[in-house]
Order: sequence, then structure tokens, then C-alpha cells
Amino acid sequence: MSAALNETSADWEPLVVAFCCNWCSYAGGDLAGTSRMSYPANVKVIRVPCCGRMNPMFVLRAFQRGADGVLVAGCHPGDCHYSTGNYHGRRRLSAFKRLFEFAGFEPERFEVRWISSSEGDKFAEEMETMTAKIKALGPNRKMRDARWQSVTQSK
Amino acid sequence: MAERNTEQIEKIRDVVAQDLLSGRIDLLLGWEKGHYWWQSRPLFARSKKDLDKLVWDPFCAVNLSRYLPDELKIHSKVGVLVKGCDARAFNRLLQDHMVQRDRVVLYGLPCPGMLDYSRLAEEAGGNLVGLVEQNGRVILKTDSGEKEAERKDLLIEKCRDCLYPNPVVYDQMLFSPQGEKSAPERFKVVEELENLSAEERFAYWEKELSRCLRCYACRQACPYCSCRECFVEQENPRWQGRAYQTSENFMFHLVRAYHGAGRCIDCGECERACPVGIPLQELNRKLIKDINELYGDYEAGLDAELEPPLLTYRPDDPAAFSEK
Amino acid sequence: MPRIGIFICHCGSNIAGTVDIEKSIEAARGFPGVVHVDEYRYLCSELGQDLIKKAIEEHNLDRVVVGTCSPRMHEVTFRKAVTEAGLNPYLLEVANIREHCSWVHKDIEKATPKAIALLRAAAAKAALNDPLVAPSVEVEKRALVIGGGIAGIQAALDIAEAGYIVDVVEREPSIGGRMAQLEKTFPTLDCSACILTPKMVEVAQHPNVSLLTYSEVEEVKGFVGQFDVKIKQKARYVDPVKCTGCGICYEKCPAKTPSEFEMGLAKRKAIYVPFPQAVPNIPVIDRDACLYFRKGRCQICAQECPPQAIDYEQQDQIIERRYGAIIVATGFDQMNPSHYGEYGYGQHPDILTGLEFERLFNASGPTGGKVVRLSDGKPPKKVVFIQCVGSRDKARGMNYCSKICCMYTAKQAILLKEKVPDAKSYVFYIDVRTAGKGYEEFQRRAAEEYDVAYLRGQVGKIFPESDHLMVHGVDSLSGKTIEIKADMVVLAVASVARADAPEVGRLVGINSDSYNFFNEAHPKLKPVETHTAGIFIAGACQAPKDIPETVAQASAAAVKVVGLLSKDMLQGEACTAEVNQAECSGCLYCEAVCPYSAISPVEIEERYHGGTLKRTVVEVNPTLCHGCGSCTVVCRSGTINLKGFSNEQILAEVDAICLQR
Repeated sequence: MSAALNETSADWEPLVVAFCCNWCSYAGGDLAGTSRMSYPANVKVIRVPCCGRMNPMFVLRAFQRGADGVLVAGCHPGDCHYSTGNYHGRRRLSAFKRLFEFAGFEPERFEVRWISSSEGDKFAEEMETMTAKIKALGPNRKMRDARWQSVTQSK
Repeated sequence: MAERNTEQIEKIRDVVAQDLLSGRIDLLLGWEKGHYWWQSRPLFARSKKDLDKLVWDPFCAVNLSRYLPDELKIHSKVGVLVKGCDARAFNRLLQDHMVQRDRVVLYGLPCPGMLDYSRLAEEAGGNLVGLVEQNGRVILKTDSGEKEAERKDLLIEKCRDCLYPNPVVYDQMLFSPQGEKSAPERFKVVEELENLSAEERFAYWEKELSRCLRCYACRQACPYCSCRECFVEQENPRWQGRAYQTSENFMFHLVRAYHGAGRCIDCGECERACPVGIPLQELNRKLIKDINELYGDYEAGLDAELEPPLLTYRPDDPAAFSEK
Repeated sequence: MPRIGIFICHCGSNIAGTVDIEKSIEAARGFPGVVHVDEYRYLCSELGQDLIKKAIEEHNLDRVVVGTCSPRMHEVTFRKAVTEAGLNPYLLEVANIREHCSWVHKDIEKATPKAIALLRAAAAKAALNDPLVAPSVEVEKRALVIGGGIAGIQAALDIAEAGYIVDVVEREPSIGGRMAQLEKTFPTLDCSACILTPKMVEVAQHPNVSLLTYSEVEEVKGFVGQFDVKIKQKARYVDPVKCTGCGICYEKCPAKTPSEFEMGLAKRKAIYVPFPQAVPNIPVIDRDACLYFRKGRCQICAQECPPQAIDYEQQDQIIERRYGAIIVATGFDQMNPSHYGEYGYGQHPDILTGLEFERLFNASGPTGGKVVRLSDGKPPKKVVFIQCVGSRDKARGMNYCSKICCMYTAKQAILLKEKVPDAKSYVFYIDVRTAGKGYEEFQRRAAEEYDVAYLRGQVGKIFPESDHLMVHGVDSLSGKTIEIKADMVVLAVASVARADAPEVGRLVGINSDSYNFFNEAHPKLKPVETHTAGIFIAGACQAPKDIPETVAQASAAAVKVVGLLSKDMLQGEACTAEVNQAECSGCLYCEAVCPYSAISPVEIEERYHGGTLKRTVVEVNPTLCHGCGSCTVVCRSGTINLKGFSNEQILAEVDAICLQR
């Protein structure tokens, strides 16, 4: 096991899973790439069609599997490719975020951001900020599935 | 023995017996006495004779509307006695298309609030054998004598902060309604928890949820849980792990509560059904409180015509995260 | 077990420079289901694609993962490649290891494990990919235009000219719409009838166009390519084949009623054409005004009609037709400003709205084209125009700018001066908005050459004093109060959505904004499309707009329709929602959140305790579904799922991406 994966090590690196909508935020991530911006490799993106597709169960599953932070990124309100997906997403994810915090999770662990396809810089910044915040917070131990971890560490 | 409210029971019986005889309904959902005198369980009355068992006493807490979807599969018209919470549960089911309005006859029972046996027993001290109600007070009878207590102090948890004791939907109201109620402490526990640190809150829920047996009694009792196949039982995908560990406990309870977001009618049946006493209603109330704060006041179950808040939106909605 | 092949692209040094290809290959060999791993310098090249195709054949691959640039770049390319090798295109999955990895991480030690994680996630998803087929629908090569104003006329002409059959449904007895009510048009002052009438005639005579006037759409079912529409053609009580349009009937008709076309300022007969240039020039009998229908006697029109075209027995008819596409061009209404007490509208005959004032200029209008006060028939010498009555008014009216008022007010002030040379116009305004070709110049002309006084400020009160209207206002530039002894006041009232727009929207299946104007699919890039595929909007039913803009939008909508009708079959989206009806509880939440009306309830029969039970579940129309997946989240049991981004696939990706620690 490398130092980066060792939670007690000072070199510990968090895992941030970012769910990005295909039309705006994922494209914003592409633009960050084509503009050769840089953000921490801790962030790993999963592409979803729309933030209206984001089931909070995906977020909880990521935390179970060892993610230290989860970000959902979608188009700015009014710009949704499917017109209403992010409006619905905003309500659903707001309600979920509050509940998640109520259960005792740090607010920084789960975030939602609007990032357009032209905001490569914002994409990079948000990934940078999120990673830094999670790094300061330390590893997620609260919802991690102990068994999953043992599977992974044997790999 | 609880004192029988003979007059009211006779009135209910007269009305529903007629409807059973005339064929207006082929089944009545009511209550009958359970194993103990302080228990009232659902009664499925198909004939006038069955109605001999009907009771209406301070232990009729079970929400009867929950039984409607199944009963409507075998009966063409079902009558149901509804308290405030049963009526709101009916609206929940109606809005979820689980029941058809024209196949159900609702008999409204304004509800004084149901009594909690454990509170009664505790208050009585000795072996509780019966009770008598008098002007908002309860006389508890034990082997060794009588003891009097305020009725409101003996209510079950779900009735303490009930805002709508009167049925909000009915075909026939059987008695005169209860007075207006307020529930200043409805969100008290939620607020107390909100004021804790994340670590403290996590410790609280970890401890509470650690008792969860995954018996799913909360789900069975709940009027918003009307799925044909619950996510917890699905094999593909396997949303919910079977292990008794913090991770899976949180998964189940957060997701279940979330499925009630904007839908929970705050009837408290989940918590009442929980055999290990997990304060489940606080998760539901947290969502009620937040959704009201963020997206405007909405009480699920009051009006089946009003769209649940998570099925709609406004372009200028606020968010619980930074929108910059 | 699937047989997955993984292909990693170097992209020259774009990927290989920051991602250790050797290590990635090594790791990829260990992923579940992976039977073949290869690399190439430029995978998107012909040779690179051939490499994939050959490997599919040689290794009998049934899933392909490429580690390349963004799927937004080359997903289509690689899908095509695997299709050529006999695989369904949706069995391909892309791991974006360039834009999302090698280009944003400089350190090979960090970029490599991330690339491996992305590849692992893509492979995990690919293992669950199903072959998908985009649905196809036959296109009915006929279009429907709802609304016969200038927008509907223009759209119908463009579609007809392109060679397609088009029906125009107009609820009034004649096409023409609002433009027919106008005297002149800004900024060129050409007469409205002179430019509109030829278009009306052209559309009526076009072999590809059928006009269904005095008709309304009753029902719209179906979807893009195949809309089944019921249209009610109201009884005219005049046989259109026999009628010669001679006009004797309405000359002789003894019953009068206020004319809608003249905004109630004049009367028309019970049998009437709304205006002299009406198309078709076939009168209708208004049952509510007709003496015969009301009292059972009269029949003068029938007696007088030379070709005996009057037919009191005529019935409403329902026409059922299938259309491939629909354009909604239902226009706008004027706001009734009665609730603005200070302006006194409705309480004095010389306080008019802009459109009412417009009619006074028209030779066939209520005053025969003489601009006179309706109170005493004298020409007005001082006219006060008030702008933004109900527009840009959050408190009592509409938030938006009605866009046309500044210009038509300038036009009316000019026309007034031409008709009544010693008249003086005053315009109270908030801002003068004249964006448009030739508009600013036109308004300057009004102010400079036609002596129109523009007063920035508001009117606080108008009240009659002897035979004048005292207008009290404030000039907000000087701060002074202004008092004008006016002969007439013209209110530039807000253009608002048609009163029945929400109903029409529901009927047709398109949504509206908070003002009940129909919503375009995208405010910038899809201005004439709606969220319902195959239904387009044009003109002022979408937002207030002037004639050139309306015509442009109508032509744009027509092009969209022509593009659609030019196809024999439509290909839908492959990644659509699907429902497991056996598990669907029928709560219909998915239907409530679907932006495309792609989900609808359906009754199924099920065995239950030996008998059968009918219950409601949902079905997805894949031709309407765009694959946003919003439905999947409100489905608590996960019964409705999204092909291509299924619950199983996303969870597998989450699991795989988290596996690296």
C-alpha cells in the first residue's frame, strides 16, 4: 500500500468522486483539459446525462465504497440541456444535502456546483477547492463499508 | 380495561352497518381489541356481525389507510374509519395513485390523541388494570388503587405534536371536530440535533441506528412506502447491503427517509412500529422542516391536489449549496 | 461473462507523456471480464480503428473500452468502428484519459493511477452495456399550423413552397390576425393591408395549403412524425361552395352586435365577414346575435342571398387528420388596463388603447378613417400617449418589456400629425427602446420632424374636465409636474399571452413561462423548438415581438418542419428510459417530472389470487424520451431505469472508481 493510500500517513490523498452532467460540467472538464489547466488527480469524474439523473443513492454508495468527498456538477439553472433537470436536481440534492448533514456528515463532504461548458477555469478551481477541503477534513470513515475496504486493500 | 365509549361506538356501528348491508361498502376497516386490553388492532369487518368487535378507544393508533391498497384488490368498495392521520395517509395514497377515491368511503373520526401504554404504566406505578377518562384527565386504576394524570402527558409520541387531529378528507364526519391544535415542539428535537456538532450528530445516529434489526416494520407501517418492490430487497442492483453495520444502517435509514421527502405526512407510524425505538420521525421531520424552509410551506396529505414539492420547481428556487 | 477488449491511445505524447501506458495495460489485464488489451499511437486514425475491428474478430470481443480523448470528441468515431466490426455501437465505452487526466495532471505518478481508475470504471460499465437500438418512426408528410396570423401565414407558405402539404387552423372567420387590424407598419409606414392581403391571398390559393378557418384544434395525440389531431370546424351556416362573397347578406342583416375586429368600437352584423379583405371572403352567422337563431324568425339573409348559400342546418364538423409536425402561432392579446385606476380606461370614450386608436386611422374602421374623438367626433388637437401601461411593472402588470409599444406609438404620433396637422402629441415614457433596423431613425423623426414631445416620466392621474382630459404627470428629468389639457389619451398597454394560452399549451402538449407565453426549448439555441419534439412555435405566442421578428421566426419554424418532413423515418434517442411494468406501482411520479411527456399511464391486467386484476402502470414512448433520466430518481423502487446510464451501470462505475485505494 502506497503512502498516499495510507490514512494515517501525512501524504494521505483523498478520493473525490465528481458526477458531471454530460452537457455542461463534463464539457467544462474537457475545456479545463484542452486549456491545459491543472487540478488534483484525486478527482475522478463519472459522466451522467444530467444532474437530474443524480440519485442520492449513488452518492451514498460512493461514501460506502471509500470516497472522501462527492461533488455533483450540473448546468447553471436555466441552461439545462433537458430544460428542467437541474431545477429538479437543485431541489432533490438540496433536500438530500441537508439530510446528509443532519445524519452527522461534514457539509464539505458533499457538494453541488453549477459549472457550464465554458467554465473550464471554474471546473479546475472547484476540483482544487474540493480536494483541499477534503484533505483538511481527513478520510471519510463514517460511512465506509469495512468489508469493501478489505477487498480493495488486498488488490 | 379501558372504559368503553359505548355511545360513540354505537353511532359508528349504526352508520357502517347500514352501509355494509346496503352494499355501499363490502368491507369496513376499523379497530378491535387485541391480545391485551391496552391494544387495539385492525378489524376487517365484512358483515354486521363482525361489527360487534368494533372499538373506538384511546388505543386505536394503527393507521388504517395503509391497508387500503391491498384490500382494494379483493373488495370493490371499502369503508375505512379515519382519524386525522389516517385521512392524511389516505391523501398520500390517493396522490400516489394507490387507491381510487370512488372506491373508498371515509368515515371521519376527530381524534383526541391516542394513549401510550408504557407511559400509562409508568405513571400508574403499580399493575395497571384499567382507566377512565374524565375532562382531559385520565384515572389510572391499579391493583392498589387509583391515580389521576393529565391526558396530554400520556399521549403516544406521534400524537403529541399532531397538528391535524381532524380528518382532512372524509365522506361522512361522525362526530364534531376537535379544536384547533398547535405543535410548537414539532421540530424541537430536530433543532436540538441541528445545534450539535457533526461529530455529535453522527455519534447520536450511529448509536440509535445501531439497534436497527432491519425488520422493516417502519416500512410496513408507512403510508408513503407503497412500492411493489422496495429498494432494500432488490438483487439487481443491490442497493442495500444486508450486513448490520453502520454503513448499511445509514444507507437504509437515509434513503428511506429521503424517499419520503415532501411526501411524509408526519403520522409517526414508522417510529411507533419500530421495535427498538429508533427516533425515525426525526429524520422525516428534518426533511419536512428543510423543504418547508427552502421551497415554501407544504404539509403532505392535506390536499391531494397540491403537487409534492420534489415533483416541481421554481426557476428561482434557493439551494442548500453555493450557486456561485 | 463478457469478453471485454481495452484499447489505450497514446494520442502521440498527449496521453503517453503523462500516463504510463505499460502500467495501464498491465492493470487493465486484471480487470474483470477483460480478455484483450492493446495500445496504439493514434487510435482514432484509420489504422487505429482497424486495430480495434481486427481484435473484435480475433478475440471474439463483445464489449470495447477505449482509453482516449473525451467521449464528446470521438465516441461517435469509435461507435462507428465497432459497428463496422459487427458490434452494436452502444457496446462501446470511452474512458476519458486525455481531457480529464493526462492534460490536467502533470505528474505521471498521479496521472497513471487515475487513468487506471477511469479505465476500470469504463470496463465495469461496459460489462453491463446492452445493445441499444434507436427507435424509428414513420413521418406523416403533412404539417399543421395553428393560428392564421402573419406568423401562421408565413410558416404555411414556406412549408407549402418546399412541397409539403400544410393545413392552417384559424379560429376566426378570416385569417390575418393582429396584423390585419393595423393601419400602417413601422418603420416604413407601408399600409398593413397592402402587404398582408397579397400574402393572405397567396396562402389561400396555394395548392399545398388548406385553410380551416372558423375552426379550432380539439385534441392532439401522438408524437413527432405522427400527431393525430382533431379539429372542430364550426358551422358557418353559409355554404362556402355556393357563396360568391357578394356581401348582400350582411348589408341586409338587421341584427347588430359589437365587432371583435374593431375592438368593440363599432358594430357588425349577425352575419358578417370580420373585415373587407377577409380571406376566405365567406360570411359566418353569429348564432348569439342572429335573430333567426335567437327568436326563430327573420331569415332575411337567406331570402336575399342570390346563390342561396345560407344553410341554417349546417353542423359543426370534426376533422381528424395525422400530421408529422405542428407549428403553434396563436398570437397575443392586449392587456385590459382597467385596473390602472389612474388612467381611467373604460370610463371615458377618449381614453383608448394603442390598438383601439390604430383602428381610427383605418378607412374601414369605426370612424371611416377620420381621426376624431369618439366622444364628440372632433379631431383631437392634443393627444397624450402613455408608455409601459402594464409592461415593466412588477407590482401591477408584467415584468417584461412589450417591445413594440415605443415604435407603434412613434408611428401613431406621426400618422396623427399627417391626419390632423395641427395636432400635438406628448409621449410619457420610462425609456424609449428602438432596437431594430431603421427604428431609432424612425423614432427620431417622430420627435424631430413631427414635433412629438417625449416626456420622461409618469402619469399620476387623468380626469375629465369639461370636454377635456386633464393629464397630471411628472417629468422625472426636471422633477417638474406637468399638466396637459388633452383631447385624447392613448395607452400603450402590455402585449400579453392569449387568455386561453395555458389551455392551448395543455392541449398541444407544450409548456409556458410564468406569463403564459409558450416556452422555447432553449432560449438561445432552440428559439422555435419546444420541449415536445415535432412541435414548434412562432410569433407573439412565444413573447411580444414585432412583424419582422415574427416573420423571421415563422420562417425558421417552417424550416424546422420542412427538415423534419423531408425524412421518411425519424431516428430517436437510443439511451431512453425503460420501465419494468411488473414492478411499477403506478404512482406516476415519473410522469410528473418528465419534461417531454414521454411517460404515460397504461392499464395492464395481472393475475391475482386466481383472478385478474387491472392496474395502472406507466409506459415510456421511446420516440419522445430524450434520456435525461429525471424520472429514474423519483422512482423509489428503481423500476424506471435509463438505458445507457442505468442504475446498475452507474453503481458499477462508482464501485470501480473507488476501488483503487
